[in-house]
Amino acid sequence: MTEEEKDEQKVVKEDDDTDEDSEFIIDFTTSSAINRVSLKFLVVYIPIFWFSGLVVATLWYNYTISPVPWVIKLLFLPVLLIAFSFLFIFSCCFFSKLLLIFINLIHVPKEGIFRTEKGDTDFEFWRLRTEIKKITLWLIRNWPLPWIDVIAFRWFGIKMDFSSHLNDSWCDAEFISFGKNVTIGQGAAIMSSMVVGNYLIIKKIRFDDYSLVGGQSTIAPGTHFGEDTVLGAVSVTTLNQELEDGWIYSGIPARKLKPNQYAEMRRDIIHKVDVDGREKVETEHEVNIDDDKKHLIKQDDGGVNE
Amino acid sequence: MSTPNSMRVGPFCASVLVKKKYLIAYIFLIWISLLPAILEIWWYWQMLWYEPRPIHFYIFLPLYLFVIYVTTVLVAIFFAKIILVIVNIFHKPREGVFLRDPSDRDYRYWSLRNTIKKWPTWLAHKFPFPFLDNICFKMFGVKTKFSNSLFEGWVDTEFIEFGSNVVVGQGAIIQSSVIIGNFLIIRKTVIEENVRVGAHVIIMPGTHIGKNCILNTWSSTMVGQELEEGWIYNGGPAKKFKKNRFFEDIPIEKLTETIGDMDGLLKKYDDQYVKRKMKKRKFLTRKDKEENATEEKE
Repeated sequence: MTEEEKDEQKVVKEDDDTDEDSEFIIDFTTSSAINRVSLKFLVVYIPIFWFSGLVVATLWYNYTISPVPWVIKLLFLPVLLIAFSFLFIFSCCFFSKLLLIFINLIHVPKEGIFRTEKGDTDFEFWRLRTEIKKITLWLIRNWPLPWIDVIAFRWFGIKMDFSSHLNDSWCDAEFISFGKNVTIGQGAAIMSSMVVGNYLIIKKIRFDDYSLVGGQSTIAPGTHFGEDTVLGAVSVTTLNQELEDGWIYSGIPARKLKPNQYAEMRRDIIHKVDVDGREKVETEHEVNIDDDKKHLIKQDDGGVNE
Repeated sequence: MSTPNSMRVGPFCASVLVKKKYLIAYIFLIWISLLPAILEIWWYWQMLWYEPRPIHFYIFLPLYLFVIYVTTVLVAIFFAKIILVIVNIFHKPREGVFLRDPSDRDYRYWSLRNTIKKWPTWLAHKFPFPFLDNICFKMFGVKTKFSNSLFEGWVDTEFIEFGSNVVVGQGAIIQSSVIIGNFLIIRKTVIEENVRVGAHVIIMPGTHIGKNCILNTWSSTMVGQELEEGWIYNGGPAKKFKKNRFFEDIPIEKLTETIGDMDGLLKKYDDQYVKRKMKKRKFLTRKDKEENATEEKE
């Protein structure tokens, strides 16, 4: 083949690349923060704010009219102030959940691809739902016990328990399921919804047991984390990516780095605790550095000992 | 969704010269913005508190606290704007490259402006209502529309222009001033309409992003980079990834295709990655310099 022919083939290939179908594949990740700036959402905010404020106000009213001497009142004021803020947050939870149930009766939230236009009901209701959840999550994350935001996430229908931890990350509050002991790093963005051009994609994210997400990484909708999977810091998953069990992933987009040996070590520990119980069982664990690193030492014939 | 504590950063500048006299403006702003709040509380007390049954007082209190917060933010923005106008009479903010040193007039005034803007932007950012942020940006001279969502990221408050319908992703940084070594670079950043900036993207001063662009997560632009209209960009520095056709009317069945060929995708990303070769450069130590000097003398 002459060089001219090769060039021609290249040109043809480039033409193929601009074909329609490959352009519509979403192989990149953007963000989910779309224009939620709308004054009409004040209609939702203000009742939640007001009603939960009323709950606190009734408590304060009872405090002011109670016949207890003022010294004792003053003594308990700090405790009462904490109780006020706590009560405010939880009544916000309650009223926003009421509103959510009401809204979900009108329109059931579902996964899929929608247009980000004003007429699209799915898009409008998605915005409304995020807006309602936002105030409670914002309040609960300002509370001095940040890890109790698990309560709010559970309350809004995410399946997770207190062994998981996400209070330093950016997390959507629907279409996510957590297993046991999931750890999510600082500043990670977990998006079960993503905006691509004029389209909104909503897809469920699943974390299996013991999966771990590094700091500042971005997780696209539809990602499935297998058991014992680790995603390194500053890495990105693409839409609908499947991360296999027991591997360490890293990079943009996430690719396999090495098998997760730490998971095996952890499994050993848990296994031993479960089986042995209180009985003392002596296990011999040989740690011989020379023996372990034998394969790294070069042999006389130049090959590497395996 | 909601911003975590570790990421809740409003628009302020990372490396600002701290001077005690700048604190005067800062404290003045805090004091003057809290005055109306106190006045409002006093007025409310006068209106609705009477001994036998202060039920009204309690019923409207939560709503009224909300109003007090909003007025505090608005008053803070108003007075900050007045101080800014006065400061700008003494020294007009301008673009360019300046020395990052207290002796440099531009650097000093840039720090002063950032110190003044800090309190109102911080107040507006500490609130779940995003429209306060947009009022803040508009008042301080950033050209935006109310439909833009700029509150999830970190956006500088001067020399930036936004078109309509811009989305800034979670943790994205859009700056018009940057400190590199001993220099402060201020250049105007322009982002036109329908741009979708992904999460964790860093946009450097002087960047011009055309219409209908999408930036992939973790991509970054260089100082003064031009991004063409209607492309998807990826990587740091941002390069063309493919043509953006997601603003067209596409049948939704076509979009639901998932990426089956993972290896092909990885190769596509790898092709974009450009290795930069470092030229070997000899750094002169003090000894060499002295030797050179002595040679020259001889």
